[in-house]
Amino acid sequence: MLVTNLEILPGHKIVRHVGLVQGSSVRSKHVGRDIMASLKNIFGGELQGYTELLQESREEATKRMMLQAESIGANAVLNVRYSTSSIAAGAAEIFVYGSAVELDI
Amino acid sequence: MEFENRQPQEGINTVRENPLLVFFKLLVGAIIIIVVLVIILQFSGSWIAKKVPFRYELALMEKVDMEFGTTDNSAELEAYLNELGVRVAQALSLPETMSVQVHYDSSEVFNAYATIGGNLLFYKGLLKKMPNENTLAMVMAHEIAHVMHRDPIAGLGGGVASMVALMVLTGQSGTGAAGNVLNQTGMLTSTQFTRKMEEAADKAALAAMVNLYGHTNGANTLFELMENVAGDSAVPNWLERFAATHPLSADRAESVVLQSIENNWPTDGVLTALPENYSLWLRGNL
Amino acid sequence: MIQLGIFISLLIVGFLFGRIAEKRHFKSIVARELASNSLVAVASRFPPENENYEQHLVVGNVVVASDYFKSAMASLINFFGGRVTPFESLLDRARREAILRMKHEASLLDAKFVFNVKLETSRIATGQVGAVEVVAYGTALTKPAMHVEAISS
Repeated sequence: MLVTNLEILPGHKIVRHVGLVQGSSVRSKHVGRDIMASLKNIFGGELQGYTELLQESREEATKRMMLQAESIGANAVLNVRYSTSSIAAGAAEIFVYGSAVELDI
Repeated sequence: MEFENRQPQEGINTVRENPLLVFFKLLVGAIIIIVVLVIILQFSGSWIAKKVPFRYELALMEKVDMEFGTTDNSAELEAYLNELGVRVAQALSLPETMSVQVHYDSSEVFNAYATIGGNLLFYKGLLKKMPNENTLAMVMAHEIAHVMHRDPIAGLGGGVASMVALMVLTGQSGTGAAGNVLNQTGMLTSTQFTRKMEEAADKAALAAMVNLYGHTNGANTLFELMENVAGDSAVPNWLERFAATHPLSADRAESVVLQSIENNWPTDGVLTALPENYSLWLRGNL
Repeated sequence: MIQLGIFISLLIVGFLFGRIAEKRHFKSIVARELASNSLVAVASRFPPENENYEQHLVVGNVVVASDYFKSAMASLINFFGGRVTPFESLLDRARREAILRMKHEASLLDAKFVFNVKLETSRIATGQVGAVEVVAYGTALTKPAMHVEAISS
């Protein structure tokens, strides 16, 4: 599965656009991490726990988007966009979407 | 290039699970963690607080300069209460490094309590209901026993430690409604500790009564009075027993009887009357 | 005790109503999606070049609130960490609903395609209330009116 945020793939021909596919993931860290993060807020610096959290979320969201694309017979997702939003305090959502296409390979 | 919209498979961005089951698993887990945490903190907090020498308590209260009760027209009453306090303290064999100071408050509250620095506060509502000196001495002995056991400072230490922990844990803005329940759980766990203290204080107080008067007559009157004041509650007994900070009055009265039998203490004897002007002193502070 | 009673009854109310609402919503979403699949919406920015189209910006938005049960469960999950499943389904619903509304607006214009679909999510109610807004927008392509075509050709 090819995932890209370009829209044209040099050397490939897009046979068919098969729709919009999306993946999302909402995750939170346990209270301990939240407390550590609020302490870290005093000193500043990277919140590694949250970096990791969002990274995991992003991977899962991407995987889900690819699953959707697969389920409708696409072999590539173009023009992919990520967005992050805070849904509830302490929980972040990663959302990814793109155009599922059939490429000739 | 062709364009079409195909329907992706359902259930990729959502997870199928039994929400109720997951919810209860999480809730039970969280409650267990909170209860264990509060128990640990109560123990260690009160243990550390009890290590603080009593004179620091006194020094602290001096610094705070807190006013207890109402001082108007109550000089004679306070003098009597303090005199009784000294007698009861002797009967309890309060260590010499410790002392108590009795205060009077003219509010119509049926209550008395002991706090940091050996300060006792008696409310008019309670004093008015005292039928004889024995019952009053029982209250006094109970409160002085708290001071002797260092319960006020231990309660403060354990309470502060567990409160802070609960606030940090459940005060996280993300925990919301469930956080509230967890907080309540923690508080409830804390009350189990204060109940233990009450029981110990009752026990010591009863022994002091025997030292003072030679019998335990009059002690039970206190719990009868308390029961009357509390009235009938709609909550079942077992629930009240679990949630209250004090043991149930009926249970306390029962343990007075049991303890008396166990130690061969006479349960009847001559009751000592209150001073002649007692009711006048109380009336003078309307 | 009263507090606990309130909490439990709100939980039950939230659970029952939230679940019924969610099931019904998903059903309606799937039905409408199947019906509207003939109007193609894609994230691509390159419309077919060999034809003339008029462009219209189309927008669809929706605000959905989480129910009491979802919020309570989310806060428990937050305590332990992990995947916040109650909100995942909430967001999935919100997003698909927003796209459907955008498509509905496009269909009123008699559009053939919606290109460059974008989605925005934001949390709009702060505090304990969980509510999210999802906006879907894109460019609807419609066939020009007959006389316009006559002039241009």
